[in-house]
Amino acid sequence: MEFGTLFFIATALVGLYMAWNIGANDVANSMASAVGARAITIRQAVVIAGILNLAGAALVGSHVTHTVTRGIVSPEAIASSRMVILGAFSTLLAASGWVFLATWKGFPVSTTHSIIGALIGFGLIAGNASAIRWGKLGEVVASWITSPVLSGVLAYLLFKAIEKLFLRSGRENLRRLSPYFVGATFLIVGLSLFLKTSLGDSLGIGTSGKIILSLLLAVLAGGGGWVWVSLYLRREEGRGVEDVFRNLQIMTSCYVAFAHGANDVANAAGPMATVHSVIANGGIAEKVEVPFWLLAFGGGGIALGILTWGYRVIKTVGSKITNLTNTRGFAIDFSTATVVLLSSKLGLPVSTTHACVGAVVGVGLARGLEAVDFRVVKRIIVSWMVTIPVAALLAMGFYGLLARFML
Amino acid sequence: MRVPVFRTFTRSPFDGLLKHAAKVKECVTVLQEALEVYSKERYGEFKGLADKVSKLEEEADWIKGNIRNHLPRGIWMPVDKADFLMALKEQDAILDFAEDAVVWLSFRQTPIPEELRERFLDHLSKVVETVIILEQVMENVKSLVTSPRRGDRERCKERLKEVHHKEWEADQVERRLALDLFNNELDPISLFHLLKVVDLIGDIANHAENVGDRVRAMMAR
Repeated sequence: MEFGTLFFIATALVGLYMAWNIGANDVANSMASAVGARAITIRQAVVIAGILNLAGAALVGSHVTHTVTRGIVSPEAIASSRMVILGAFSTLLAASGWVFLATWKGFPVSTTHSIIGALIGFGLIAGNASAIRWGKLGEVVASWITSPVLSGVLAYLLFKAIEKLFLRSGRENLRRLSPYFVGATFLIVGLSLFLKTSLGDSLGIGTSGKIILSLLLAVLAGGGGWVWVSLYLRREEGRGVEDVFRNLQIMTSCYVAFAHGANDVANAAGPMATVHSVIANGGIAEKVEVPFWLLAFGGGGIALGILTWGYRVIKTVGSKITNLTNTRGFAIDFSTATVVLLSSKLGLPVSTTHACVGAVVGVGLARGLEAVDFRVVKRIIVSWMVTIPVAALLAMGFYGLLARFML
Repeated sequence: MRVPVFRTFTRSPFDGLLKHAAKVKECVTVLQEALEVYSKERYGEFKGLADKVSKLEEEADWIKGNIRNHLPRGIWMPVDKADFLMALKEQDAILDFAEDAVVWLSFRQTPIPEELRERFLDHLSKVVETVIILEQVMENVKSLVTSPRRGDRERCKERLKEVHHKEWEADQVERRLALDLFNNELDPISLFHLLKVVDLIGDIANHAENVGDRVRAMMAR
């Protein structure tokens, strides 16, 4: 078999494992709050997460995948296309190996940090320090700090607003104000779907047209939300704030799953896209589009992970966090998804999990939770301090070994 | 499994506080029964009830230890942790005094003078009422510290005022009771025994009041 094809298949296999692992483990971080708050059942969580992760990956996954493919290590700085292919394979192998070990030991690492760490390792050994795009890497690392903080601040403000507008004043405000939450969600999802994506381009309208389309979608969804909440409150006399938010949480769960797919698919599909572009272009190309089917493959892998293993993890975690109420769950989900989706559009690979932890802490600081274990923050910081060098060293090792035999 | 979100959530310490409060309430109601049979000089029955008080005290102690063990540094709560732990400590003191009261009763079979019997039981029932109201407050403390609904805080403050008032009433009864005991020409040992028991029962209400004060501090924003 030809060198390129062989390594494309090998990379696809490891990529499939990586995607599977993302689906199996990370999905619990994003869906557990909805299950814990009893907004959705485990079965519903699995279906929602599976379908919307796939959709997010295929439709919005290209930006972050692009960053992983070309943003951290510049392929032009690597001497030969064979080296690029070997590098992509060893990067993915190192990252998934580390994630496998960490998962086994229950160490809270991020797949995103692993893949970026591995990329740094490969870049350093195959090119040299100049092969790494330090500027972009700096942005990415900064986003690892800002994304949980932003998501925490957003969750804090959102929960304070919910408390002030709804919980203290009862249900009068529900009908008037909750449509805005629905509208805002759809506006962000709409913008991310249409701006700078292949789906948006296929519509054949300009940027302003896309914005108008998103606004229209938001107004429609908000109107739908208004009708629904009105009907719901009339039909179910005794229902209160939490009941309305339980239903809104179904929406935010979808939102989280969509954002998760959009950002995390790159961790599996990025190296595959690198190998694919070298084969397709017969060498290192200046600019490449990430093919739709590749993102769908990654998204499919994530969905597979959710279906085969993720439900167990969601079940375990969901049953342990039953203290969560729907308003809190809503604030956590909405903030996480918004931050992650915006990062995805900016091409920044962030950890969905860490954004989610940030949101939990934010709601906790808003006095929304009875107790929050802050020690997890320390564990996360330690784990990313460890992940970057370990993944880098692993990638260097794998690449060095393969290069000895294959080049 | 590597699920950090899961680790940020931790068992609610307020659930433990409520469980502890329920034990306290159960314990003082058993104390009430115990004093009643004692006053009727049915000492055999009294023994069983006294043991039950001790057993409940022990169970509540275990709950208290469990709450404390699960609150290391790094667990963040919406209220001052010192206030929370102090409320727990004061609530636990109620049990200690309830147990002391039955223990003191069991030291000696002192007949309570006929005309003071009613007053004796009345005093304890005033004290028990403070604990019952307190337990009702604890049932709402969770939503009170996280996101109180409209009117919740006011209702809770009313209840806490009631605790204060009942404690004051219990004090009044206690003073008259002590005075009457002195005027009853009891032998010194009986006088000392009954006074000590009345004193211990009165302490229960004092500590219930202290718990209320801590809850008030937790509610303040």
